[in-house]
Amino acid sequence: MRKAITEFSIKKPWIVIAIAVAITAFFAFQFPNIKIDTDPENMLEHDEPARVFHEEAKDIFSLSDFIAVGVVAEGGAFTPGLLNRIYDITAEIEEIDGVIVDDILAPSTVDDIKQGSGGSIIINTLMDEKIETQEEADYIFGRIMENPILKGKLASEDGKAIALFIPIESKDISHRISNEIQVITDKYGGDETYHIAGLPVAENSFGAEMFSQMAYSAPAAMIIIFLLMLMFFKQARILIAPMVVAMMSVIWSMGLLIFTGHTVHIMSSMIPIFLIPIAVLNSIHMISEFHDRYKAYKHKDATIRHTVQELFVPMLFTSLTTVTGFISLALTPIPPVQVFGVFVAFGIATAWFLSLTLNPAIAMLISDKTLRNFGKSDDSKGVLTAMLHGFRDVAYKYNKTIIAVAAAVIVVAVVGLRLIVVNDNPVKWFKTSHPIRQADMAMNSHLAGTYMNYLVIEGDDFDALKNPENLRYVESLQRELEKAEIVGATTGLTDIVKKVRFELFGADPAKKALPDNQNEVAQMLFMFEMSGGNPDDLFKFVNTDYDLGNLWVQLKNGDNMAVASVVERANKYIEDNPPPNGLKFEWAGLPYINIIWQQKMVDGMRGSLLGSFAVVLIMMIFLFKSLRWGLISILPLSITIMAIYSFIGYMGKPYDMPIAVLSSLTLGLSIDFAIHFIQRLRAIHKRVGNFKEAYHEIFEGAGRAISRNVLVIAIGFVPMLFSSLVPYITVGSFFLAIMLVSGMVTMLLLPAISVTFRKTLLPEPEERKSGKKQTAESTATAK
Amino acid sequence: MRTIKLTLLVLGLTIIAFAYNADAKDASELMKKSHMAYYYAADDGLSEVNMRLINKRGKERVREFTMLRLDESDGGKQMYYTYFKSPSDVARMTFMVHKTPGGNDARWIYVPSVDLVKPISADDKNSSFVGSDFSYEDVSGRHWTEDNHKLLEESTLNGKEVYVIESVPKEDFNAFHKKLTYIDKETLLPMKEEYFDKDGEMTQIMRLEKVETVDGIPTATVRSMENLKKGSKTIVEFNSIDYNLGLKDNLFTERYLKNPPRKYIR
Repeated sequence: MRKAITEFSIKKPWIVIAIAVAITAFFAFQFPNIKIDTDPENMLEHDEPARVFHEEAKDIFSLSDFIAVGVVAEGGAFTPGLLNRIYDITAEIEEIDGVIVDDILAPSTVDDIKQGSGGSIIINTLMDEKIETQEEADYIFGRIMENPILKGKLASEDGKAIALFIPIESKDISHRISNEIQVITDKYGGDETYHIAGLPVAENSFGAEMFSQMAYSAPAAMIIIFLLMLMFFKQARILIAPMVVAMMSVIWSMGLLIFTGHTVHIMSSMIPIFLIPIAVLNSIHMISEFHDRYKAYKHKDATIRHTVQELFVPMLFTSLTTVTGFISLALTPIPPVQVFGVFVAFGIATAWFLSLTLNPAIAMLISDKTLRNFGKSDDSKGVLTAMLHGFRDVAYKYNKTIIAVAAAVIVVAVVGLRLIVVNDNPVKWFKTSHPIRQADMAMNSHLAGTYMNYLVIEGDDFDALKNPENLRYVESLQRELEKAEIVGATTGLTDIVKKVRFELFGADPAKKALPDNQNEVAQMLFMFEMSGGNPDDLFKFVNTDYDLGNLWVQLKNGDNMAVASVVERANKYIEDNPPPNGLKFEWAGLPYINIIWQQKMVDGMRGSLLGSFAVVLIMMIFLFKSLRWGLISILPLSITIMAIYSFIGYMGKPYDMPIAVLSSLTLGLSIDFAIHFIQRLRAIHKRVGNFKEAYHEIFEGAGRAISRNVLVIAIGFVPMLFSSLVPYITVGSFFLAIMLVSGMVTMLLLPAISVTFRKTLLPEPEERKSGKKQTAESTATAK
Repeated sequence: MRTIKLTLLVLGLTIIAFAYNADAKDASELMKKSHMAYYYAADDGLSEVNMRLINKRGKERVREFTMLRLDESDGGKQMYYTYFKSPSDVARMTFMVHKTPGGNDARWIYVPSVDLVKPISADDKNSSFVGSDFSYEDVSGRHWTEDNHKLLEESTLNGKEVYVIESVPKEDFNAFHKKLTYIDKETLLPMKEEYFDKDGEMTQIMRLEKVETVDGIPTATVRSMENLKKGSKTIVEFNSIDYNLGLKDNLFTERYLKNPPRKYIR
């Protein structure tokens, strides 16, 4: 089968190429049907209970996702000039398509509850028209500070910042709307600075920027990889094949993804960037071998036959292990991660197949004349070879030291792994210099926060939320939550009742408390509606039957860890202080949704990683038909994973979505070099029948292929380190780290182990005959 | 020749101006008559009101109250007295309005749970009446002289002959930019009102869903107001309507806010 495919590719290159191009064209034609989905909510299944409840809560209380616009003026924001500018800005924002005008929170839209003439109370717009004097501006500031529903939310206590909350019809238009708001604030802006923040903007903008980054990163990586390979092989035409293989693998897997009706999510947009190095990896091994052998065979077809023969098994297994790493993602309970895993796996399989067929076919089209000087450059004098010889000699001479160092690294790494902190925050997917991060920092330092969670209160009967006992419990829970540093404000029905009562009794501080009987609660709320209060404002905090309440918990920090700590605080309080009348509490809100899927992802990834680790180990034992070699072969991958993840632990970098997903890439890539090294070391040893000779030879052909791969992929993704999106930087750093660490481990630890245990692992033919006992002794006495 | 032309032109313009003026005058007169028929039926009145507030999710809240009205004169001052019966936790709350056409209204509310009578600010006539889609002004009537009226056409609505009148506020008004009123030629009741904002978009529709003759007076017994922007709707039913009960004006005082007149409030 293998031979037939190779022969066909050698003899009928044009047919092979034509078929590949035809299939590629079919998949390329799927691209116009692309459907993009950047909503992190879709990290959860549609029927996931937390998500269903979140949607229900949004529906019951007419809650919308919102964009937070912050205005910061260090000299003080409450001046007639600035307030009038905000008045105009708000009016223009109201005209933007997709903005829910009725629910905008801004000085010119929110209602204030205050005393009118003759002891009446009035509820009307805080700033219903433009103002002229500083006194009016000061009065507006004073009213906000007097109002627990607005204080901290609409303006900072130092008077330097004002916030506008712009509710939008759906999250996927927040990037467009934030751009339109930007245009408006640019038009009116004075000395003050304007910030646009909020989770929907971060998430949606990330999606938008991600695609433009992808359009730049993937080709950039391809170009650098091409140039590096050109440096190594000095023959551009032969490099057409690996480039074509990489591109076709990407087109096939993305095309199939779109063809099968899947949406391109944040995860799947990264498929090209994951596939390119994996696809190139195989080709580099092939070209490297072809390059090193061509000068001996002088004929393309003979060289190709040799190359395929030599590399078929290692390539099959490196591809299978990488496929395993990615396909295991299908076991995580997160749909976009499943899709990502399955289609990367498909891409890897494609790349493997195309490498075996297209590489030979394209090589056949290049005339022997063109290849005349191919492989003639004397590799034995290059820097790469010198370095490899250095590794060879060091690993031989200091083999025990290297093993000891590796053992020490494992110990240090285990400690580091325990330091890993699981945390994520979509806003932090942007670099600190990005406007979205700047906005997040500025607004959350001045105001009550841009992250909104909702604690839904379920009463046992109609009107439960008018029951003073229940309200008092909610109030005490509010005070408890506010003790948390990241809780900027909590707002509930309690605050409206108290505010109306306070103003009704002539701003008597003693009346700034919840009433003692239910009728009074009801009548205060009635007063709110009679005095011009908008019932829609009321029903964001309670439902019309008054059996469901909604406490707004505004957070200054959207880190999952911080959000989880607030949830934990509430749970503990509720546990320690059992609520009256069977009140129940349940969370909703985007920050809460994020902690739910993070939890699912961390658990799912752990399972996937352990599962694929076990599968890879079994595959290796099967491949090498040896338990010992199987165990040794997974050392580079184990050490690489431990080293990288413990480094993350020591650096205090949070373990977030991209880092979790990269564990499968690490697993899939870092086993590859070990497979090539061991498989070929054993093959050479079998051929030459002498350890020392085999040891020397492995550092030539295979060693060069491995080090070329390390350099090509590590350097190829360096451009990603300059991205403005943190996950891209993370992915780029991982490629660099995976290549360097697993390359180093493969080229130092594996040789050192083979030297130390050579009598057991690679016995000389005469030793092989004399049985196990002697082997064990000689190992013990080995130098 | 030139003089004749000029004369004809002036004459023509004069006729147009007169026609226009006459038309405006007619429209305004129609609105006044309609206002009288709708808001000033008989000299006084009583009804049991059932008000359903339906939000955009279809969730309903019900308010029931007894309403008394006394007119000082047709088109003149009016007094309203409202006694809330349900929901039960707001029962016994009472509410009173002294309306002065063209002037400021005075409103009071009695809060039984704290035994306090409080004035309610009348600054914003456009604010919602007890959280419904009707504003205070919808309940007591917007004075016809505040808008410029124009008779757009004569048409039919649900099989009835109607005048369609366009009204534009004389001064900028945040509640609406333009209003179309469909006045029944026979009863002069405003069968439908359509409100438009400055972008020309319709924001609210008021409908008289049911008109019955009570004591010989055509009376709207079911009214609805639909807020197209919010998706909410309020339906008001007037039951047990009585006219010309001989209500006294001392009934519309603070004393009766605290102690409802048992004769009318059951």
